[in-house]
Amino acid sequence: MSGSRAFDARVFLWVVRHGRRLARIPTFPYLFDALLLAWTSLTRPSRVAAMELLEEKALQIDGVTLRTHRFGGIEFHHETRGELGHVHGHGLLDVRLTRKLAGELIEKGRVRGHHVFPASRWISFQLEKKEDVSYAIQLLELARQAVRRECAAASHFPRERSA
Amino acid sequence: MNNENTPSRPFIQRKRWLRWLAGMIVGNLTIAILYYGTGLLLRAIPYESGGDLILWPSFFLVPMFGGLVASYIWRRLNPRISGTIGGAVGTTLLGIVGAAIVFKEGIICLIIFSPLLLVVILAGTLIGRIWFKGDPTLLRCSVLPLLAVMAIGEPLTRTNQPRVVTDELVIHASSAKIWPELTAFPTIPEPPAFWLFRIGLPYPQSTTNVGDFVGADRRCIFSGGAVFKETIAEFVPRVKLTFDIVQIPKDPELMGHLSPTRGEFRLRDNGDGTCTLIGSTWYTLHVRPLWYFDWWTQYIFRAVHLRVMEDIRRRAEAAS
Repeated sequence: MSGSRAFDARVFLWVVRHGRRLARIPTFPYLFDALLLAWTSLTRPSRVAAMELLEEKALQIDGVTLRTHRFGGIEFHHETRGELGHVHGHGLLDVRLTRKLAGELIEKGRVRGHHVFPASRWISFQLEKKEDVSYAIQLLELARQAVRRECAAASHFPRERSA
Repeated sequence: MNNENTPSRPFIQRKRWLRWLAGMIVGNLTIAILYYGTGLLLRAIPYESGGDLILWPSFFLVPMFGGLVASYIWRRLNPRISGTIGGAVGTTLLGIVGAAIVFKEGIICLIIFSPLLLVVILAGTLIGRIWFKGDPTLLRCSVLPLLAVMAIGEPLTRTNQPRVVTDELVIHASSAKIWPELTAFPTIPEPPAFWLFRIGLPYPQSTTNVGDFVGADRRCIFSGGAVFKETIAEFVPRVKLTFDIVQIPKDPELMGHLSPTRGEFRLRDNGDGTCTLIGSTWYTLHVRPLWYFDWWTQYIFRAVHLRVMEDIRRRAEAAS
């Protein structure tokens, strides 16, 4: 991962960390995500192309549909397993795995801890170009399997809050 | 050839561009109708009786709803993200052109407004793209109560409070040299440097006054013949000149959007042969969201102040 973050990523992190109350204002997350997407399409069109390809490939996973994510962005929703992940307007893909799997992937270095909940089962992966999409799809597939195992093994535990 | 057995390409595939255009037009018509309808409501219900509070079109919600409607028209095109961005840009441009032609809105206002309008319309089209993707026949009405609640609730945050923008400039001259230059000044010879002035926003050119006393009339003349009529409210030689703005030009960039109410020049002697010239303008904004338009207003007033104050500095320093 790049050590220095781009302007859009810094703005995004600042807003999600310091302006979390804003997310409670109806429609604000959608406006903010639209702003991010407009900026990304101007400055990094390759990310938008990658997001489009991700969307196309994700819809080929059995049972996956798209939804608007409540904190802005596109949610990849499985018909029985709920949210697998979501991608924000600047191409940041958040995926819900198991804690163990998330830790392993973060150690390998290609993904990082979630931007708001770093020590959770959520991981973040920045899409930059179309070549990143196959890995992103792998992550969503892992999420589908992780949620399935989780449901089977520990369905009595309360669900972790969605990021 | 048996035409009946020949599969014809669906209309929507042949006329994709027509559907894009239809979405842009219908989206804009929706926005225009909602704004117009609200305007009629406000005429029927006097402002003092709470008309403003009952229903004022939310600056965000109406264009967002227009974007949603456009997306509904585009749903069979199954648009990608980039297509939706393009559609939102087209809808915004069409709206801007329509507002300039139909509503005679000022070009500068529309330029200022357009980035915000684009983002809001884009948010609506992006939401609609996902919502109407799954089942194109589904019309999501659940958004309507939410939009209604927000449209009604949004005016509660509205207040027309006067605001002020102030700028300072150090001048290497005594107050005795500076004072005559700020009470009235001839045409500023410098061409405008500020980018909005260059593309047509009126900029200050000269100021006249009928006398140095309270109640005297002043005229601040802007490019394009725009004249602000002013009356001197306070006159303390070498210290303070305050004037009330009693009439603003009938310019589409100003009408209904902004009311400048008062201006002031103050001189502060720094005791080292220099003085600080402090220029202030008081104004009330009538457009929302306040944070967005207030940023633009301060940005523009700052350019107005500095053009005048720099000219005063040049003349005062040349005279000393």
